[in-house]
Amino acid sequence: MVRVTHRLEARVLGEGDWIAATEICQLCSLDLGAVMELAELGVVAPREIPPGEWQIPATALPRLRVVGRLIHDLGVNVSGAALALELLEAQRELERRIRSLERLVSDH
Amino acid sequence: MEFRDYYKVLGVERAASADQIKTAYRRLARKYHPDVSKEPNAEARFKEMQEAYEVLKDPEKRAAYNQLGADWKAGEQFRPPPDWGSGFEFSGGRPGGGSRGAGRAGRSRAGAAEDGAFQDQDFSDFFSSLFGGGTPFSRTGRAAGRDHHARVAIDLEEAYRGTTRTLELRRPEVKPDGSVELRTHTVRVTIPAGVTEGQLIRLAGQGEPPSGAGQAGDLYLEVHIQPHRLFQLEGRDVTLTFPVAPWEAALGASVTVPTLGGTVEMQIPAGAQSGQKLRLRGRGLAGQPAGDQYVQLKVVLPAANTPQAKALYEEMRSKLDFDPRANLSR
Repeated sequence: MVRVTHRLEARVLGEGDWIAATEICQLCSLDLGAVMELAELGVVAPREIPPGEWQIPATALPRLRVVGRLIHDLGVNVSGAALALELLEAQRELERRIRSLERLVSDH
Repeated sequence: MEFRDYYKVLGVERAASADQIKTAYRRLARKYHPDVSKEPNAEARFKEMQEAYEVLKDPEKRAAYNQLGADWKAGEQFRPPPDWGSGFEFSGGRPGGGSRGAGRAGRSRAGAAEDGAFQDQDFSDFFSSLFGGGTPFSRTGRAAGRDHHARVAIDLEEAYRGTTRTLELRRPEVKPDGSVELRTHTVRVTIPAGVTEGQLIRLAGQGEPPSGAGQAGDLYLEVHIQPHRLFQLEGRDVTLTFPVAPWEAALGASVTVPTLGGTVEMQIPAGAQSGQKLRLRGRGLAGQPAGDQYVQLKVVLPAANTPQAKALYEEMRSKLDFDPRANLSR
């Protein structure tokens, strides 16, 4: 077995980056209709530049990938996945607050 | 490599119907899906289930898998038969292609794109040797390679400073004699400072190699930042619970506070209360703008376990006009 080592520069998709909706679809395993439905539901805020071509902020990628996985793996529809996403995020926020309060009252 | 009992993974009989297999998968997926599950080892368990379902939902793959026989036990040493895949007819004009398309349509996954959910790079050697690239069951006819995805776990300090990771990437390659070999190559990836939870890192050209003249796919790494002993992360901000003595909170104090970038001096204002948050601007993860560090004060009482300590508490009780329950008596 041959082992080759390459050093690669990583490109972080983050704040300030806008990604074409078609590429988002590929990255998140969603179809364009689903992405536009998620926009209507307020999960993402796309922009239309140039007219007829939609772009999505790269910061929305983690949320959209969760939605894509929920749709694929659990068989839920788009609005169900969006609802599940919001509930999961609310749950994590509550868990974070609980951990924070536990640290405040614990002996250590 | 070790044999995998896909029926056992999904908890179904070998004679189970397609609906029974689908139901079993759905039930287990709901329980172990990494995005929703709190079960230990949910991610590893879910991958096992995905792999099992990928084979058992597909009539062609399932039939081929069944042909291996019912005597194999999970974990037994296994090598694919030399004539693996021969004697099968594949629907849809290309190996595996037709059945895959039919399977997608039948599953009615609203919003799911035609391509992308199933990626075999996460699956076991057992799966790859039987159904992966180069075998008669893999998809062909695709000039360009697909994108691959992987997760990379880093510490909070690494997210703050940036880091490098050595990744082992496995690709099935077809040897001149037609057999398939999983070839491993290592890459060192530079992860820049300021990555946040869930962010994607793109490594151009490191995904699936093209089967034709097209381009290789990209490799996307999804960043997971591991919980930290001291700091809690929220976006780019970090919060530190910081114990202080009652007199430091009451009188104010200059204290040394740990941050991700080293210790800093911070002034606690007089009259601070337990739970109060003080902000150290720009001391969170790098970015535009950088995150902040929040220092949440936690007033810790000294124990009254010496005569001197007891005397000081007695003195406070007798001399301070302080009713902690004043609000309750109104």
